[in-house]
Formats: sequence, structure tokens, C-alpha cells
Amino acid sequence: MSDASPSLDALPCGVVSFTDDGRIVAVNRPLAELLGHAADDLVGRHVETLLTVGGRIFFQTHLYPILRLHGVASEMFVLLRHSDGTDRAALMNAVRHERDTGAVVDCVLMEVRERRKFEDALLRARREAEDANRAKSEFLANMSHELRTPLNAIGGYVQLIELGIHGPVTDAQREALARVTRSQRLLLRLVNDVLNLARVESGRIEYSAEPVVLDTLVDSVLQMVEPQMATARVTHEVIAPPGLVAVADREKLEQILLNLLSNAVKFTPAGGVITVIVEPDPDGRHVLVRVRDTGIGIASGKLESVFEPFVQVGASDAPHREGTGLGLAISRDLARGMGGELTAVSERARGSTFTIRLPSAGVPER
Amino acid sequence: MPVDIIVRNNVRVSGRGSQPMLFAHGFGCDQHMWRFIAPAFEADYRVVMFDYVGAGHSDLGAYDAERYSTLDGYAQDVLDVVHALDLRDVIFVGHSVSSMIGILAANREPARFARLILIGPSPRYVNDPPRYVGGFERADIEGLLETMDRNYIGWANFLAPAIMKNPDRPELGAELTESFCSTDPVIARRFAEATFFADNRSDLPKVTVPALVLQCADDMIAPDVVGEYVHRAMPASTLRRMQATGHCPHMSAPEETIALMREYLAGLATA
Repeated sequence: MSDASPSLDALPCGVVSFTDDGRIVAVNRPLAELLGHAADDLVGRHVETLLTVGGRIFFQTHLYPILRLHGVASEMFVLLRHSDGTDRAALMNAVRHERDTGAVVDCVLMEVRERRKFEDALLRARREAEDANRAKSEFLANMSHELRTPLNAIGGYVQLIELGIHGPVTDAQREALARVTRSQRLLLRLVNDVLNLARVESGRIEYSAEPVVLDTLVDSVLQMVEPQMATARVTHEVIAPPGLVAVADREKLEQILLNLLSNAVKFTPAGGVITVIVEPDPDGRHVLVRVRDTGIGIASGKLESVFEPFVQVGASDAPHREGTGLGLAISRDLARGMGGELTAVSERARGSTFTIRLPSAGVPER
Repeated sequence: MPVDIIVRNNVRVSGRGSQPMLFAHGFGCDQHMWRFIAPAFEADYRVVMFDYVGAGHSDLGAYDAERYSTLDGYAQDVLDVVHALDLRDVIFVGHSVSSMIGILAANREPARFARLILIGPSPRYVNDPPRYVGGFERADIEGLLETMDRNYIGWANFLAPAIMKNPDRPELGAELTESFCSTDPVIARRFAEATFFADNRSDLPKVTVPALVLQCADDMIAPDVVGEYVHRAMPASTLRRMQATGHCPHMSAPEETIALMREYLAGLATA
């Protein structure tokens, strides 16, 4: 090693020391040989000259700030430049020491050839996976859109026939048309769910955050599900102190709450109670909206999977519930999109509680 | 909405003065990079620091790929912060790419800005022969992107989870997230592309806010000829060449940086 202990020359890795302004003060022989230089030629040069041009930009924008702010950089990938103009990939560990004469960075470098090939394969695989996933989401979004057009046409023409516009309709025909309409609506809802999921997954949802007064919002959403509740003979109660305000996208929050309430109605037997509770999070920076039911519940092992797309837990042993199983996946994505979270706790045969956690509108302590 | 921007951009306000000094970090890091010089201005200014969306402790959920695919989206972050705190008479301090971001913001709302302090500005990094030398070829930038990809794939995607699962050494995880100013590889890559493939030369002559250009010696990212170009293209600019070398004088030579900023701002007070 030039200007340093000769034993460093025996190490199976490159060693280089440089000052804060980048001047090389010592370099060992293995590193000099890796780069096609004599060690003595490198001392006094700027450390950037050991790097490719892209590597130099990385040094200035990432490595130097990390060394200056943290004093240590571990397992950093760098591209070194050989004197013949080709590059050498290396992993680098570096430590910055303050000394009386100024700061010095000591650096160990190991060439990585096999690992680089492995990383190439990983990078390629990751990009392919990302591309495939994006293509899938786009396909779903487009496909769902294409499916809606004929479904709407079916609905429209059935209505025209029902109205007798194309001639008199018999009772039997009317009943058949009602069945067509029901199926058409169900199918349309499924398609809309898929479309929503595809939109969320492809990141095409825009959020507009605003202060939302929660007790008012809960009331208005409950009004929407009251007919459903009446049919299912399920009652509800609300525990919402006035004045709790969340920062959220009002429409998205309504969508989540509507989904949770519809689910609660679907999975709660007649005579059950659905409770909506609004309360501040103990952390002081969030608010919680809970929807609790006295329904069939979810086994603890299956709790997380209800948030997976296309999963309907309990569908095998419970009466069939219609839907795509996308509602909760979409709701969780939406909650997260607003800087919040959607979680669940449940007990088989006792009921479930779904909790929406959202940023509170109070000024957080920073 | 103000509260939202404060959280979204991790805005920090300190200092005892009234005139705001707004510090905007460069590519690859976050507001931590100002910690050697910002305290020096707290006695006389209202010091405001923030992280661009996608950097530091900003709200990653607020990241919008389309908005941040050009520097205009980042300039909107600056203006959002200015409006959220209703800052007027702003002294904007930008490092590297934030110099151009600050120029874009100041050109959109010049009335809000009193002065621009630009550390290592470059309106275009890629050469445009025969008349413009930015210092880089496109292939060089591709090399940077490869290096970034590999570091992020190594760190963020593989090592970080392993370290996070190491509960007996939690400091490892903390250090890691602190170290990597930009945590998301996709965001970092897009910021790199927005930065290094930008061409803001035509924005320079439109700047009406007076500006100080701080030019380091031996700065390979913004070479001297680029600093000279910026100065000549901006009518109301002052160029100061520094003793400091490299691209980050606010970290490598904080005293000199502070002194030159003070001198420039004191000149205003007496003028």
C-alpha cells in the first residue's frame, strides 16, 4: 500500500483512503491492479477518477452526503473505472474519521462479478413482474369498461320492454324480465368492483383531502343502508361524539364506510345489532371509525385474508353471499391512500369489528 | 390545505427572525443536508426546511408519478409550502437540482421571492453540442441509474427487511432508513430522470428575482462553465466562485458557504 502499511497489500480486497475533499492519500496494490494502475500513480488524484462518470454522480449525490451525515456507508454498490475504459462493479464499505489534520474516509472495496449477474437477473425479473402486473391491471380496467357497455344496453332495453313500448307484456314475461334485470344488476355490480380494484391497483385514483366531520358523515351513510337493514331485520346504534374531524377524501371515506356497513348487514343474522363508533386514537394524531356487528364472525387465522382481493371468508360454510370479495381489498387500499389504515378483529360466531384509522384534522405535534 | 402540506412535505420551521429563508434539498438526500448551515441563520431569519414528496420523511402516499416526472411538479411543492405558511419576501436556498426547481417556482410567482441562493446550479446536465457543455452524455446518466438501481435493490429490497427482523439491533434499521434519503427506488429513479434529463436553459432569462450563484471548484456535477452559463443567462445574478471543491459545499465547507450567503444578504440590507 502506498504511503501505508505493506500488509494491506496482502489483503484480498481493495483499500483506499481519501480526504474530505476527495484527494487520495493511500491506496493498496490489489485495488490499483484491479483498475490497471500502479498504486503510486493514484495517490494525490481525486477519488472520483476511480469511478465511472455515472458512479461519480452517485458519489456526489448519495455517497458523500451519507458519509458526511452518518460517517458510515455499508455495502454500497459502485462502478469503478479500469484504465482501459471498461468498468468494474464493486461493493464498498467506508468509514469517515475526524483527524487533527482533517477528515479522512477509509474505504474497502470488493469486486462483485457473480453477484452482479445474479442482481441483473433479479432486476430483470422484478421489472417483468411489475410490467406484467401493470398490464393485468390495465387489462382489467379496460375489460371492465368494455363489459359495462353491453350490460347497460341490456338493462336499458329490458326497461323499454317492461314499459310496454314494444307491445303488451304478459305477467310471465314481466316476471322473466324482472329476473333478467336482477341478474343484470348483479353482474354490473361485480364488473364495477373489478373496475374499482383495477383503478386502485394501477394508482389511477386521485385523493382530495379535506376536513371531514365524522358524526355527520356516519349519519348520511347510515341513511343509505337503512333500507337494507330493515329488510335484514338488523338494528343499529351510533356512538359518535360531535366534532371529531378527520383529514380524508369524503367520497372515498363514504365508499369505505358503505362497504363495511353493507358487509355487516350481509353477515349479521336477523335480530342482530350493528354499532358504529367514532373515537380519537390514543396516539392523539388519528381518529378511528369502528363498525361492529354481531354476525357470523371470521376465524382468527383467516382475518388477514379477507383483505386479499377475490377472497370471501366463510363462503364455504355460510349461506352464499353475493359479491366479488373485492370490497375490503378496495377499502383497505383507499384507506391507505388517504394515509390511514383499515383493520379487523373478529371472533367466530360473536361478530367482527372493522376499524378505519385516519389522520386527525388537529395540527400534529412535530 | 395547510395542515396537509406541512405533513406531506415534512415542513420544519425554526429561527427567531421574520423574513423566511426556505431551504430546498437536492437530489439524493433530504433536509438533513442543511444541518451544518441552517442553524447559522436562525438568529436572523425564519428558517423553513422541507422534504420533497418522495424524499426523507415526506408522505410517500402523496407521490404522483405524473406530477413528479418533471421538475415543475417539484416546483409546485415549493409553492405549496410557500402558500401553506403564507411566506412572503422569501430567500430561497436551493442545492443542485433545487436551484432549477426554485427558479421555476420563482418564475411562476416572482412576487413571493426576494432572493434566490443557488448552490451548484445546472440548467442542463447533458451536453448539447456544439454550443452547450453540461458535462455529461446520456450514457453517463444511464450509469448513474444502474448504480442507483443496484443500491436500492441491495438495500431497500433485500437487506432492509432482514435488518428490520433483527430486533436485538434496532439501531441498524433506524440508521438504514435515515441513511437512504430517498426510500423508494421507483421514486428515486424518476427524480433522477427528471433531474438529469431536464433542460431549463430557456427559464434562466425569465428570472426577475435577484440571485446568488455559488460555484464550487472542481464540481463535476455542475462544472465551472455551467455556473458561468447560469450567471450570464440570468440578468440579475451574482456569481461567487468558492474555495470549496466538489458539489456539496454546504456540507464540505459550511463556514465558507455561510459567509458568502451572509455577505450577499448583507449587501442587500445596505443597498
